[in-house]
Amino acid sequence: MKTLFLPLLAGGLLFLTGCEIDEQFDPNGPSINSVLSDATKVELDLLVTAIEAGIRNGYAGYVTASGTIARELYIFDADPRNTEDLLGKEDIVLDNNTFYITGPFNSSYRVVKNANILLEAVDNTSSVSEAEKDGYRAFANTMKALVLSRVLDLLGDNGIRVDVADPNNLGPFLSRDESYSALLGLLDEADAQLQGADFGFTLSTGFEGFDTPETFQEFNRALAARIATHGERYDEALTYVNESFLDLDGDLSVGPEMIFSAAAGDLLNPLFKTPGQSGDQIIVHPRIIADTTAGDLRVDEKFRLRQQSTSQDNLNGDYETALYPSATSPIDIIRNEELVLIYAEANINRNDLGTAVEALNVVRNAAGLADYDGEVTQDALIDELLYQRTYSLWSEGHLMFDLRRYGRLNAQFLPIDREGDDIFVQFPIPLAEGV
Amino acid sequence: MKRHHYPAAWALVLALFFPCFLLAQYPVTGTVTDADGEPLVGVSILVVGTTSGTITDFDGTFELEIPDNRSELRLSYTGFAPQTVAVERDIAPLQIVLQEDVANLEQVVVTGLASTIKRSNLANAVSVVSGEDLTGVTSQQTVDGALYGKLTGVNITQTSGAPGGGYALRLRGVSSLSGNNQPLFIVDGVYISNVEIASGSRGASGANSANEEGASNRIADINPDDIESIEVLKGASAAAIYGTRANAGVVIITTKKGVSGETRVSFNQDLGFNTIIRKVGRRSYNAAQIEEAFGADARDQFVAAQAAGEIFDYEDIIYGQKGFITDSRLRVSGGNEKTNFFVSSSWRDEAGIIKNTGYERFTARLNLTHQVNDWLKVQSNTNYIRSQAARSFTGNENEGGLSYGYTLAFTRDYINLFPDEFGNYPDNPNASGNPLQTRDQTRNDENVDRILEGININLNLLRTGNQSLNVIFNGGLDFILSKTFVYVPESFQSQRGRQQGFLAEGKNDLFNYNYSAIAVHDFYTESGINFTTQAGITYLNQSADQLLSQTTQLIPLQTNLSQGAAQSTNQFLLNVEEFGYVVQEEVNVNDQVILTGGLRFDKSSLNGDPNKLYTFPRASVALNLHEFDFWSGDGPLDQLKLRAAYGQTGNSASFGSLFTSLAFVSTGGNAGLTVNGRQGNSGLEPETSSEIEVGTDLGLFDNKVNVTATYYVRDVTNLLYDRSLPTSSGFGNEIRNDLDLRNRGFEFQLGLNPFRSPAFDYRTTFNFWLNRSEITRLGIEDGSDGEDIPSFVPPGAGFGLGLGTFYINEGSPITGLWQSTPDGPMQVGNTEPDFQFGWNNNLTLFENLDINFLFHWRQGSELLNLTRFLTDIGGTTPREYDNLDSFIEDGSYFRLREAGIAYRFPLEDTFIRGVRVGVSGRNIFTITDYSSYDPETSVNGGSGLSTNLEVAPFPSSRQFYLQIGLDF
Repeated sequence: MKTLFLPLLAGGLLFLTGCEIDEQFDPNGPSINSVLSDATKVELDLLVTAIEAGIRNGYAGYVTASGTIARELYIFDADPRNTEDLLGKEDIVLDNNTFYITGPFNSSYRVVKNANILLEAVDNTSSVSEAEKDGYRAFANTMKALVLSRVLDLLGDNGIRVDVADPNNLGPFLSRDESYSALLGLLDEADAQLQGADFGFTLSTGFEGFDTPETFQEFNRALAARIATHGERYDEALTYVNESFLDLDGDLSVGPEMIFSAAAGDLLNPLFKTPGQSGDQIIVHPRIIADTTAGDLRVDEKFRLRQQSTSQDNLNGDYETALYPSATSPIDIIRNEELVLIYAEANINRNDLGTAVEALNVVRNAAGLADYDGEVTQDALIDELLYQRTYSLWSEGHLMFDLRRYGRLNAQFLPIDREGDDIFVQFPIPLAEGV
Repeated sequence: MKRHHYPAAWALVLALFFPCFLLAQYPVTGTVTDADGEPLVGVSILVVGTTSGTITDFDGTFELEIPDNRSELRLSYTGFAPQTVAVERDIAPLQIVLQEDVANLEQVVVTGLASTIKRSNLANAVSVVSGEDLTGVTSQQTVDGALYGKLTGVNITQTSGAPGGGYALRLRGVSSLSGNNQPLFIVDGVYISNVEIASGSRGASGANSANEEGASNRIADINPDDIESIEVLKGASAAAIYGTRANAGVVIITTKKGVSGETRVSFNQDLGFNTIIRKVGRRSYNAAQIEEAFGADARDQFVAAQAAGEIFDYEDIIYGQKGFITDSRLRVSGGNEKTNFFVSSSWRDEAGIIKNTGYERFTARLNLTHQVNDWLKVQSNTNYIRSQAARSFTGNENEGGLSYGYTLAFTRDYINLFPDEFGNYPDNPNASGNPLQTRDQTRNDENVDRILEGININLNLLRTGNQSLNVIFNGGLDFILSKTFVYVPESFQSQRGRQQGFLAEGKNDLFNYNYSAIAVHDFYTESGINFTTQAGITYLNQSADQLLSQTTQLIPLQTNLSQGAAQSTNQFLLNVEEFGYVVQEEVNVNDQVILTGGLRFDKSSLNGDPNKLYTFPRASVALNLHEFDFWSGDGPLDQLKLRAAYGQTGNSASFGSLFTSLAFVSTGGNAGLTVNGRQGNSGLEPETSSEIEVGTDLGLFDNKVNVTATYYVRDVTNLLYDRSLPTSSGFGNEIRNDLDLRNRGFEFQLGLNPFRSPAFDYRTTFNFWLNRSEITRLGIEDGSDGEDIPSFVPPGAGFGLGLGTFYINEGSPITGLWQSTPDGPMQVGNTEPDFQFGWNNNLTLFENLDINFLFHWRQGSELLNLTRFLTDIGGTTPREYDNLDSFIEDGSYFRLREAGIAYRFPLEDTFIRGVRVGVSGRNIFTITDYSSYDPETSVNGGSGLSTNLEVAPFPSSRQFYLQIGLDF
């Protein structure tokens, strides 16, 4: 009978003392609060890498969604919305809750969040010098402007939110013009921070040649030149491009890159498509092929004739992308070729047509084409500029915005592949924004 | 009669408080038989007004000493109506005949954690499904799948038609959006896991998330044949005593136990096959139509293929397999006065309708009960399961080229995809994978080893003339070792040039244990009032260590994780602790009025404050009007019960919701930390569900007609949900709990047993049920100050407003399907059925021929059919569906869910006691307008808002069996 005491005692003790449950921590990863105060240099560097890695996310969607609308490419894959919604098939309009906008939008703001965390962490730590702090800040602000400019490209007149540091108190959507000012302001702020800054962090080899405060500054100015151009602020664009790594006589391919690898946690180049592959392919829009000039080196470099032509959803194509040779090929963020074109564009719009023709010839010659011999008027040169941009920057996320800037994103200038298709000029603000 | 088994001190204390009397006694003997004169073994006989009694022995006889002041015996036996017999001193040996309990009024139902109540005294509509109802008609794949149509208030969705399960159970509508919003499953006191363990196949297929991988849910491990009964506590009013685990209801499974007496052996063998439930068909084409759809080149190919006789029906080639099924089950049970045992073993091997898919399950069980002495009973239930499933690739994906439905939608029937003479599979020119290569060369396997162990110790501390005190210790553990294996060869179309082969192996180690200690005190007053008091503690601990290793850039033909250039590992750790106190009081006044009140206090490591106790009360009343003296008993009404019950349950957020984590990324060999999209909330409290249920139970014409009607209102307050945040915040979603949801429903059951004789017996049950939900609050209360939460699309619960999605909008049902319209988001369908109806029939003819069939009718439940969306784009939708204008379709159906006919051979053999031979089937026919495979489908696994979204599922199957049973 004494045996009864044991279970009774055990039960009684449990009942009385209960069971104290320990404070919980996350066993699966570090938490955000650990970096917001007294961050170590290592933690700041981890955030820097996350920002650099993050600018790759959503880029493919930005390129293919805008490229489909601009009729530079088709995406033939398993998601039918790529050939229905984006081309406005049978009165479909762009949805504000579908991946083609939410994907690039979300990943861009994810980078902004990481940048804002870095900025806050830098303000609340004493583990790095003031010069190093300015280095982190300049990096964060420049990268914020890069990703936000993609969002602004897509949303157009809808504008963007720039002040998003407090998730519970998000700033307003600025007008298009205010948005451009805000982005250029961010870049100018970074530019100022770079004066006398130190880079305590290491960027990947993608930023080789642009990984010191001085050279990074040239990248910063290059971005500003692009953004000013998109905002049709050609005077500013010219100033910025002159301060960038623009080199009319140099290698057009120079510029920082997004790099890829098969390593753990890393990404493969999302715009690389296996040659000949069906079911997941970027098809060159037939109008791009039809418009090529004989001898243009860019044609063979970028487009590959398929052994079998392909069709999906009543769209056809004979050529597929050859832009990237492998799944680990890097993607340019911005390169000298684009800067030369920005320089040309700014000069055309400032009516300095001779300088513009010279710049255009740099690009033409590099593509194996002879010097420009057409009319030298503003209108003719804009045609020529857009033609060169089409082939120099094909499938890199430009054409939709180039056409829009010159009022050509419409059926007057672009073919309608299927009866009832529509051409959209901008994406809607994602539903989740609640505006 | 008085038993002193407690120490002297206890005796003293108890004697002071509960005086008991020593009285003179007289003996009574007797025999108990059924209507056929067969002796009944183990009938319990209770002296009315006391706790003393006995049970009948092997010959159905008993002997009992009765106190002088008592003169009534109450006999009860499972499956038989109770009987009260008057006795007196010097009475002759009794001959008692028990009548079958046709209305199941005597069925015992668990109401506390350690106490039971007769069904006739129950204040809730607790559904009970017996093992016979569960598996008696046809061979069952899984326990949850076997329940559908058999009880009211249940909605079951099939997340995969692959053998080995994939079901989601919803009781009385959706009650929770996050975490474990499936019912709590308890098997013999063990809180068992019903997780879906993802295999990481999304790494190759591009599926959006783990729940799109179509994993099986682990309740599939339970052998349905081991089950004695299943009780389903559908709502908070019945399940309140289970506290924070019970928001979605509780399913209590009791396995078979041995019975004293002769050792019984039974062996059952089922042989059968799986076949696709319905073929959707392929689009028919002539050459001109091909040219119009796909261009002139395609026409040439088509004409050439036609000439060569190479137009294929790929739907039939992929889904047209007849999968062989064999299911063998052996049961041995028996025991003596002290020890009972039940041993079973089963082996089920089932091939799917897709070649190289299938499921194999081996189970072994030992249930032992030992009565150590008359105050200590020990029970141990041990179950070992080993299962293997080959599930291949189905469901949603992105550019993986693996999911059959997806690739078939784009595959053209005039293209020859068969391998050449060297075994090389040609590329599919219209999709990113060749489905024949997927079928023949890829793998997506699950392997599970699992042990369930439950220990139950019943300690009788006190038994006197009018009271008893028992302490019940209950402990259980559930250990799962799961291995997953995914392989896509480097030669596979979508792999070439990118991943160059994909290999993932998961090792998941899940360990859950729980224990409880509950004291139950019974007290009978002189006037026949019975007080049952219980109090105790419960504890639950869950832990998991899930490792997923994957390798890409494979060395050709290698299937070893180390044989690839790019390796990565992912680990998920989980640890949850919950602790609760329970008190409950039950008052039974002569079976006339039964009152219950209880409280549960719970704390959980899943809550923001892990040591804060949350209280979940319950109260109920049942009024048996027919037991009152004023009841004449003359009319047709034999039983009339009115009942009302109220209760609260809770649910904590899913693991990890308290934290805002940073995730690992890398570029150029540098490591980085990024926010991962979900904003945690360190102050979360559990959501609570309060339910009021009222109802009545009627028995008419000698209980040949039974009616049960129940109405309930269940309010979930502070529902935990993921809200899509403005993503410009950098987060995709946050977890909140400022949402209220109301479910109302009506459940009605009519049971008829008009013919009741051994030669001709007919029972039929009509089950009718419906549920309606409404979001009653989102954000702040209407009319109060503050910023309200706008309506939103819950993350991961659909395919955007462009195609169709669930949508959280105050004043609307939570189950609605919404789409964008020119006037903004509009509800265009509702996944909640208008009503459901089950009609079960059991017919016995010529004494030995059993005919059973179960019809199931679901009316008005819309689905989002994105399979057709894909086939429309791919040009493979059958022409008969060209005129369907929306992808949201009516999913009403009428189905012969189960039917069986079996003959029991009359034998007079002492060796073989019984032989039963039958044929049966499942999902035999379905009448529906739905244009795809099966309206019971879901692409998103079992949790959250997951029902009625179809994207290229593993088609459901029909099954037919030949069944042979032998009893020794």
